[in-house]
Amino acid sequence: MKKRSRKAFSWLWFMIGILYFFIPLLSSFLFSLRGKKGVLSFVAYQHVFADPQFLKTFSFSLEMAIFTVIVGLALIVPTAIWVHLRVPKAKPILDVFALLPFVIPPVILAFGLIRSYSRPPLALVQTPALLVAGYVIVAFPYIYRSVDAGLRAMDLRGLTEAAQSLGSGWLSTIFRVILPNLRTALLSAVFLTFAIVIGELTLAVLLAWPAFGPYMALVGRNLAYEPAALAILSFALTWGSIAIIQAVSRGTPGGRSNLGGTH
Amino acid sequence: MAFLELHEVVKSFGRNTVVRGLSLNVDKGEFVSLLGGSGCGKTTTLRMIAGFETPTDGSILVGGKDVSRVPPNRRNLGMVFQNYALFPNMSVRRNIGFGLRIAGKHGAEVERRVDEMLELIHMEEFAQRYPHQLSGGQQQRVALARAIAIQPQALLLDEPLSALDAKIRVRLRDDIRAIQQKLGITTIYVTHDQEEALSISDRVAVMREGLIEQIGAPFEIYNRPATPYVAAFIGTQNLLGATVIDPAAGIVSVEGQSLEAGHPLDAKVGEELRLRVRPEALSLGRSGPNRLGGRVASQKLLGSIVRLVVRVGDTEVFMDGFNDPLLKLPAVGEAVTLSFSPEACTFAEPGAEPIAAAALEDEEETP
Repeated sequence: MKKRSRKAFSWLWFMIGILYFFIPLLSSFLFSLRGKKGVLSFVAYQHVFADPQFLKTFSFSLEMAIFTVIVGLALIVPTAIWVHLRVPKAKPILDVFALLPFVIPPVILAFGLIRSYSRPPLALVQTPALLVAGYVIVAFPYIYRSVDAGLRAMDLRGLTEAAQSLGSGWLSTIFRVILPNLRTALLSAVFLTFAIVIGELTLAVLLAWPAFGPYMALVGRNLAYEPAALAILSFALTWGSIAIIQAVSRGTPGGRSNLGGTH
Repeated sequence: MAFLELHEVVKSFGRNTVVRGLSLNVDKGEFVSLLGGSGCGKTTTLRMIAGFETPTDGSILVGGKDVSRVPPNRRNLGMVFQNYALFPNMSVRRNIGFGLRIAGKHGAEVERRVDEMLELIHMEEFAQRYPHQLSGGQQQRVALARAIAIQPQALLLDEPLSALDAKIRVRLRDDIRAIQQKLGITTIYVTHDQEEALSISDRVAVMREGLIEQIGAPFEIYNRPATPYVAAFIGTQNLLGATVIDPAAGIVSVEGQSLEAGHPLDAKVGEELRLRVRPEALSLGRSGPNRLGGRVASQKLLGSIVRLVVRVGDTEVFMDGFNDPLLKLPAVGEAVTLSFSPEACTFAEPGAEPIAAAALEDEEETP
């Protein structure tokens, strides 16, 4: 009896959790269908697609997200591997760094970036490079945490030494042994980075870029049904990009059909 | 000149010196075990040979070339780890072929060599499996095949059987020895298990506190321990307090009973010594020239061996005999005579024994 009631209890909590996430999503979706009086229609979606700004801002943000992922991974993955293998004492320092983006508000970050990079020799305010750099900082904790967890889950030292004793240098050890076993962790890092960058508002506004976040905010201020449609669309698009990444990386050598990279 | 040479190798981690000027020569095709308790420096020594640690001082030569500062991936030494360290993202076939592909060998050549290796470890039907689908013993076989696939100059094994069950351990160690002899590959084997070391090695190096206490053939190590530490560390020893009666004739007295040492003793009359004799050197009855009378205190069955604990005066003496179904053991409390040959006993200064025989009981792992 006791066991059964406990089971019912955990199901109850699970349902509450599901509802908590899905009720707002569902209500925005239903609301987005009311563009025409009296009937449910996709007219709000038609308006969204008809606006050239939508595709322009979304593709801009997507581009920024791709660059953020590339720069972020290139910066963080080797660092995390190196710290794990060679300087484990430096781990607490990285852990503190990984907290900073939460502690420092994006507004402060944006003003800091503008002040530092608006005059020579590093006048970067006019280039999207600065926006990507800012996004890398914002995404850093998510990428670092994922990679760190992935490295912990495998026998990094053992695998590295085994590869080395078989004649493998650093590059081939990283690309043939470590990265394939980090697949799940890297996917989640990419996923989180996409989700953050595509909806990001503060940095994009303050650095004055026509990104998707500011566009959504603008539309939200002026229209009623379209913002809801946009929210649903951006949700679907984000998930869609993740699905594509998953599908692509599944076919790579070393990747297995199940996501469990380490056993 | 030996194939693998360690000259006065020192390794310190900060203030902690783990290896203290160790020298070792290993001939081509030889199987040498480094045996010792935890913290004796055996694994560190192996890791220096492999290149994962750099010696603080001294040099390591392989085939006459100093490799002390050569990175591990350019030493061409096969390594087998305690926890297998197979690549989880690769099948058995790809694991074994990894080193060959890194070396830039062509597809057909790699496949042929991998097939050879799979045959050698009798795992042809497992080629497409992934490491997590294999048992520990199978994983270690694959790790062994992966290490020798690259035709390394030497094979290094770091406690390869410690994580396995007793039965598999014995079988796999025989397989390792058979493969090693078949390929004639120079092998360094690190273990804390003396039975393992004694059963598969050409020579055993007993290590203690970063140095080799004694190195020699297994029989030599077991039967003629060069130092009190080796004598106490390997196997089980009875330690008896002996009083010198006639040094020139080699006569001592143990618990009031006179015994022959078989050789003159370098000691004074009345001096206290410790007499060491192994339990299996003793036998019941009056067959040998040295006899000790006592009473049976208990019997212990150790599988193939039966151990009698006999109280001789104030000392407990162990006697080991084969467990024979026809054996009629004396009952507890019965008076018995133990005998042994003079050659079976060695002597040490009192207090020279770093480990008591009783403490050794726990260290012995009888599979």
